[in-house]
Amino acid sequence: MSFPVTKITLRLRAAAAVSAAAGLIAVMAAVGALFPSVGHTIGTLNVPKSVSNLLGGADYGTITGWFRSEIASIYGPLVIGAIAITGAAATTAAEEEDRILGLVLAQPIRRPRLVAAKATAIAAIVLIVALGTWIGLIVGVALGGGGITLAHMTALAVQLAFFGFATGALAIALGAGTGRRSLASGGAAAVAILGWLINSFAPLVAGLDWLKYLSPFYYYAGHDPLAHGVNIAGIVVLGVLSLVLTAGGIVGIERRDLRA
Amino acid sequence: MTAPPAIATSGLTKDYGSGRGLFGLDLEVSGGEVFGFLGPNGAGKSTTMRLLVDLIKPTSGSARVLGLDTVTDSLEIRRRIGFLPGDLAMYAKLTGRAMLDYLGELRGGVDARTRDALVERFDADINRPIHELSTGNRQKLGLVQAFMHEPELMILDEPIAGLDPLVQQSFHALLGEVSAQGRTVFLSSHTLSEVERVTQRLAILREGRLVVVDSLENLRKVAVQRLEIEFAEPVDPGEFRALHGVTEVHADGATLTVGFEGSADAVVKAAAAHEVLAVRPREEDLEDIFLHYYRSESVA
Repeated sequence: MSFPVTKITLRLRAAAAVSAAAGLIAVMAAVGALFPSVGHTIGTLNVPKSVSNLLGGADYGTITGWFRSEIASIYGPLVIGAIAITGAAATTAAEEEDRILGLVLAQPIRRPRLVAAKATAIAAIVLIVALGTWIGLIVGVALGGGGITLAHMTALAVQLAFFGFATGALAIALGAGTGRRSLASGGAAAVAILGWLINSFAPLVAGLDWLKYLSPFYYYAGHDPLAHGVNIAGIVVLGVLSLVLTAGGIVGIERRDLRA
Repeated sequence: MTAPPAIATSGLTKDYGSGRGLFGLDLEVSGGEVFGFLGPNGAGKSTTMRLLVDLIKPTSGSARVLGLDTVTDSLEIRRRIGFLPGDLAMYAKLTGRAMLDYLGELRGGVDARTRDALVERFDADINRPIHELSTGNRQKLGLVQAFMHEPELMILDEPIAGLDPLVQQSFHALLGEVSAQGRTVFLSSHTLSEVERVTQRLAILREGRLVVVDSLENLRKVAVQRLEIEFAEPVDPGEFRALHGVTEVHADGATLTVGFEGSADAVVKAAAAHEVLAVRPREEDLEDIFLHYYRSESVA
């Protein structure tokens, strides 16, 4: 790994991550503050199971269900996925398309070290957003009157971080492997959205339930971290997936010509 | 033991399909040379340089830089060379100083005094964000990073692009100094006038193929010569166009400018049939050498 590459990547991307983290904290504080007045009124939505699954159970009557539906199901993974994917695509494929990588790789640095250093920086950026999620949860749950343990809030932030690692690593694999920014960001985003849909709908179709195991969402939230805490198996799967995808990116960029 | 050539390529080919790329390049650049690599846009100059730096892999053939294989020993080569890419790009948000710091950290072993001396020499603005800099000022940063670690070989793709005449002068002086120190410069350009003052030898590339490698002195010999002939009365230019060796004839009133290759005998004898007031040789235009090889149908 190359420390200067990690440092410069963090320097260029950290502002977006800190903004996203601050935004998450503000949104979660607002979401928490709304719960006492709105949550009990809404209760559990009477919607089809498919919609309920998309909304993380649609149980707005409890503080756990409220944060699961408002934050854990959509907003949290959306923000962390977006930051991870755009950051990863920007530091690999976009730098190549912008012709910066040609100058950097004319220095005495091996391509695998470069990609590993960038992946490390993206992981650090994901951790910043996950930390924002954790702080936001603590603040939001406190404003909502409490009811979720610190361990379970930490569990969601940890699971979310690993989800961010995996989506970022996918963008790195696509970006480093192809040198195409649109493919890196679009491909990773498509997989993330598809994973969300599969995780929500596959269990409803007899015979297709097994498809959920192909979704990173299942390993992130399938065991409901806000209610049940950390799921080690999910973390291991997402962690290994992140490493494998990053390794794929390294192999990809090592074998090909730089595009620009 | 004799030092290996700074650059040696053997049948170096990068085939992009549809006739684009570089084909069978055999080239040798000696240590201490300032070598010009010329050709029109798309001739394969940048492709050659990117192959030498291992940014792209050859389709066939091989290249050695400082005696090392460009594919298997790429890291060591990049440690010992300086490279300025064509269409230089850097992180727009960073200042020039931060960018140079970054590249220096990546490379290691950069003497800050050497870097600062280059910054001063080129009058490079290192305190403003790169996105605020003009093309010429960005190019100065590119030159600083290519020279700041005092490499044995500098591979410079269109180094003069965007530089004002004063900085060009400074750059040319620097090339003379590094050459005197026994270091090698391999630089590309699409116009001869940019490199004629500094190169000892040059190669001309056309459509991915090497057309000629020679010294400027030898290349001048094959240049088109021109005579400006002032007659007492206008003469028919067609009479001269029909002569053997004549490549061009321009008429301006009673004055003809006749370009020809080889002996002037036929032109002089044809002119002598008329009343001649004056005969003036036109200053040899080095650009014509270049254009001669660009347009030539015969590929070496």
